[in-house]
Amino acid sequence: MAAFEPVLTRNFAVENSQSLKVYEGRGGYQAAKKALTTMSPDELVQLVKDSELRGRGGAGFPTGLKWSFLPKDRAETFMCVNGDESEPATFNNRYLLERDPHQMIEGIIISCFATRASTAYLYNRFEYIAATRVMERAIAEARAAGYLGKNIFGSGFDLEIYVHRGAGAYICGEETGLIESLEGKRGWPRIKPPFPAVEGAFRKPTVVNNIETLCCVPHIVERGADWFKSIGTPKSYGPKLYTISGHVNKQVCVELPLGVTTRQLIEEHAGGVWKGRKAKAAVPGGISMGLLSADELDVPLDFEEIRKTGCLGLGTAAVTVIDDQTPIMDVLYNTCRFFAHESCGQCTPCREGTTWFYKTMKRIKAGGGRLEDLDVMEQLAKNLGITPGTTICGLADGAAWPIKNAMTKFRPELEEYIRSHQQADKKPTALQEAIFRGVSPSLFDSSLPEPSEPLPGPTAPGHNPRVSPGT
Amino acid sequence: MATIIINGTEYTLPEGERLNAIQAAQRFGVEIPYYCWHPALSVVANCRMCEIQVGSKDPKTGEIKMIPKMVPGCQTPAKDGTVIVTDSPEVRSHQAMIMEYLLINHPLDCPVCDQAGQCGLQDYSYRHGQAIHRFVEERTVNPRKDVSDQIQLNMDRCIMCTRCVRFCREITRTNELQVERRGNHAEITIFPDRPLDNPMAGNVVDLCPVGALLDKDFLHKQRYWFNDQHSSVCTRCSTGCNIVAEENRGQIWRLRARYNPKVNDYWICDEGRSSYKSANDANLLPAMYLREGGQPREAPVDRALDTARTRLKEIARQGGTIAAVISPFLTVEEAYLLASYIKGLSGEAVLALGPVPVVGEDQTFAPDQRQGRTGDTSFVVPRPFTIRAEKCPNRNGVERILKHFQGEVIPIDRLRERAASTPFDALYITGGGHEPAYEGQEWTKLRDGAKFLVVQDVWPTDLAGTADVILSSATFAEKAGCYVNATGRLQYASAALPPRDGSLPDLDILAILAERPGGGPISSRDVLSELAGQVPAFAAVRSLDGPFPEFGLPLDGSEEPTPGMFRYVDPWHAPRGRVSLAT
Ligand SMILES: Cc1cc2nc3c(=O)[nH]c(=O)nc-3n(C[C@H](O)[C@H](O)[C@H](O)COP(=O)(O)O)c2cc1C
Ligand code: SF4
Repeated sequence: MAAFEPVLTRNFAVENSQSLKVYEGRGGYQAAKKALTTMSPDELVQLVKDSELRGRGGAGFPTGLKWSFLPKDRAETFMCVNGDESEPATFNNRYLLERDPHQMIEGIIISCFATRASTAYLYNRFEYIAATRVMERAIAEARAAGYLGKNIFGSGFDLEIYVHRGAGAYICGEETGLIESLEGKRGWPRIKPPFPAVEGAFRKPTVVNNIETLCCVPHIVERGADWFKSIGTPKSYGPKLYTISGHVNKQVCVELPLGVTTRQLIEEHAGGVWKGRKAKAAVPGGISMGLLSADELDVPLDFEEIRKTGCLGLGTAAVTVIDDQTPIMDVLYNTCRFFAHESCGQCTPCREGTTWFYKTMKRIKAGGGRLEDLDVMEQLAKNLGITPGTTICGLADGAAWPIKNAMTKFRPELEEYIRSHQQADKKPTALQEAIFRGVSPSLFDSSLPEPSEPLPGPTAPGHNPRVSPGT
Repeated sequence: MATIIINGTEYTLPEGERLNAIQAAQRFGVEIPYYCWHPALSVVANCRMCEIQVGSKDPKTGEIKMIPKMVPGCQTPAKDGTVIVTDSPEVRSHQAMIMEYLLINHPLDCPVCDQAGQCGLQDYSYRHGQAIHRFVEERTVNPRKDVSDQIQLNMDRCIMCTRCVRFCREITRTNELQVERRGNHAEITIFPDRPLDNPMAGNVVDLCPVGALLDKDFLHKQRYWFNDQHSSVCTRCSTGCNIVAEENRGQIWRLRARYNPKVNDYWICDEGRSSYKSANDANLLPAMYLREGGQPREAPVDRALDTARTRLKEIARQGGTIAAVISPFLTVEEAYLLASYIKGLSGEAVLALGPVPVVGEDQTFAPDQRQGRTGDTSFVVPRPFTIRAEKCPNRNGVERILKHFQGEVIPIDRLRERAASTPFDALYITGGGHEPAYEGQEWTKLRDGAKFLVVQDVWPTDLAGTADVILSSATFAEKAGCYVNATGRLQYASAALPPRDGSLPDLDILAILAERPGGGPISSRDVLSELAGQVPAFAAVRSLDGPFPEFGLPLDGSEEPTPGMFRYVDPWHAPRGRVSLAT
């Protein structure tokens, strides 16, 4: 552990780290030169495959494998660098852009060379104004120095990088939503297949990779796949930027080998839970990934182990700590509000489900909660997302996971919250309850006794058993 | 050849047919419910109603491996070995879940909704939904608005299937509609001051599976289930789009597109859509007339016909010159009967083609697959749609008849010149279009070109006012028969309305005048068989036997039945909400 040497963040503390001169002075662009002048694209893809680099954007998909899905006979390829970092509490990409833009450019150069893409789009989150400026300046510098443009390093390889400011929506970070948005359309994710590698931006084969993923590439070229695999845990190799936020004393972004535990992050890097309290729960990697309970804080945060806790995955490795004074209901309320706001509105379950969650949460918080609400939400959450196959993109999974996790890990607390926060006037109306229970609205509020059995469902269109003639 | 397994039963798809799971299941009588999918539009898979369980069968071991999650049917190609399960408890409860979701914000205003009776939500609620609803929160109500003078959008009823948006993007490529805002507040909308007014805009109303997009022309006028549905052909231009005419209480209430993969696919133009109005017009001729004392006087049908018949016969016997104008609005059968009747009176008789209205230029909408359709699994290439400048249904057919009877087509202007120099002894003029054709002085001059003038029309025109006999005939809706469209396709249109009081369908008028055996009404099919035997241009009809082909008959050249040429109708437009696919 002690031997770990940060590489992605190695320039962060250096003065003027954004400038080309400083970057070159610290060995910058040597990896790009090595790759472009001594290696072939296929060798590079193989190298990245050998390093078992997995995507840092959330899904953890092996990067080399993704690159090898590109059709062999393609004429044109696009590279999209996913900088739409909008997962709550995630800010590692932002650091990489703002503090070491040339590392990013070098990563793009090598990756584009490997995938034979001569156009790269850096899709930057709308709100990242500073990062966009820094990147634009750095790109101009790199261009002037001959690292971009035509015939880079005399290898015959051309590359242009365009910075594209995002559309201000979480969903534009989803790879096909990003592509649509890049094309100037509404950021509505596309159905897959075809995957972007086959038909992506402007209907051409396209690679979408996260910023941090590409930033790892120069270091792999420089130090080799074996070095990369010497860091981290099995199946999760390499350094990773972890961000820690929430109820801790120091909110930081640190580079560590994959597989540190949440507790290590809190204790060793974030200065412990604030106000001397204890952690009740933590978000392992962006709220889409679910919730860890207090006794799961020692699970290594890598691509494999974390899944065993019932969380969706490592996500963006953005840890948010929740102290023991905060009701989980409040966490869920915020989460649901976020996803209801960010659902693109395309798929029925996500469009309606995320808002349903949010409205229910609002009612529970206002004091109108019922214990059945938890069952309803749990049942809805179980059927929401690409995991059960009911939506197009993973946003819905992200919306469902915290609820699913909270229901299994914090159910008693949630029930207690509902019991202790009752406000009679915030409860559903009697009519709403009647519909919920399946009591015929025509019988509602009348002197007729309630039917003892549930209403019979009509069996065929146009066939109403109660009015059929002759029966 | 592909073998697919649907709910445990093996079915074989013919060689070369590419279908998705919805289409394949439909082919074999298994229904997969859907909203957003449409064969001509890109596959977006966003309603999630068509989800099924999918797997594949290993051809060697016969082992079936299922994908562990639900997959949309629209997105699943039916390949050899594809296994589809549509009726498992999982699929059913998924469908119930989607219905529950869709009904959260949907107002239950079916009693005042125009779509009721042909609504995807209604049909599927009964079949796939559930009687309870667990949503007890406040509902989101998106606003109602107009997207054009003609079309109203009730956003509260919208289920965001985006069929209309894709239609405007991919088929007309006019891009009027778009989605705005996100999530539960997502709305279909237009750009400010850019109404949805392309010439095919009305199709979005047909496409809408629920009552969100509504034609203001039909709004709150009739309940769908009171209307009788008649298969017909649009007579507004020479494209000959297939339509459904909805009739109730002796009126047409609207026209809708009917699928014909060889003519109009799924669409009709707005002009055609509103052309039904001429059939309901209050100014249509209310009776037959005879000229008495220099004035047209209402006459009983039999007397008007009798007068025309005896006078024409007399003139023919005396060797008088006779001419007839055959309107391009007549059906093939009517044109044939009229031509053979007049030629039977006098071999020298002149037959002219009636006025052919031409407005503007042909307008073609070339759909662009590349506007949408990444990952197309409908395998349907949308075809161009042309609105023709020639605003009549049957110039092609009438010309074929004319060429047979006199070797050439005499345009109306040549006849008028001739009549001006040497008047005819008898002139028989037919009309019957959507607008009065014989209006104004240039036409009343024809009166001087004929000693005896018969006008058979639906409109009281200036020329008719001067005629000796006015025969009140049928509008397009009141008659049955065939038209030949601009591409030479013979198509049958059935009658949607009974004849108006005081009128007779043209075919019956002509049969009576020609004193055909039986003396009464005749069927268009009899006349069609007769003319097919006589007129070589209609030889293709001779091989017909059984019902008239659903997608029409090309008169020139033959046509192999294309695989996949099945009737397409959205399930909610099908009777009792169920599609049965007759081949
Ligand atoms: C709703 C949603 C939002 C996402 N947002 C981001 C994002 O902001 N940044 C990112 O890099 N990946 C994001 N992703 C993941 C991308 O879809 C994609 O997996 C990733 O960019 C691939 O890059 P990688 O292989 O380098 O991880 C998001 C995914 C989903 C489903
Ligand atoms: S899952 Fe949600 S965010 Fe993703 S495409 Fe569907 S509606 Fe949009």
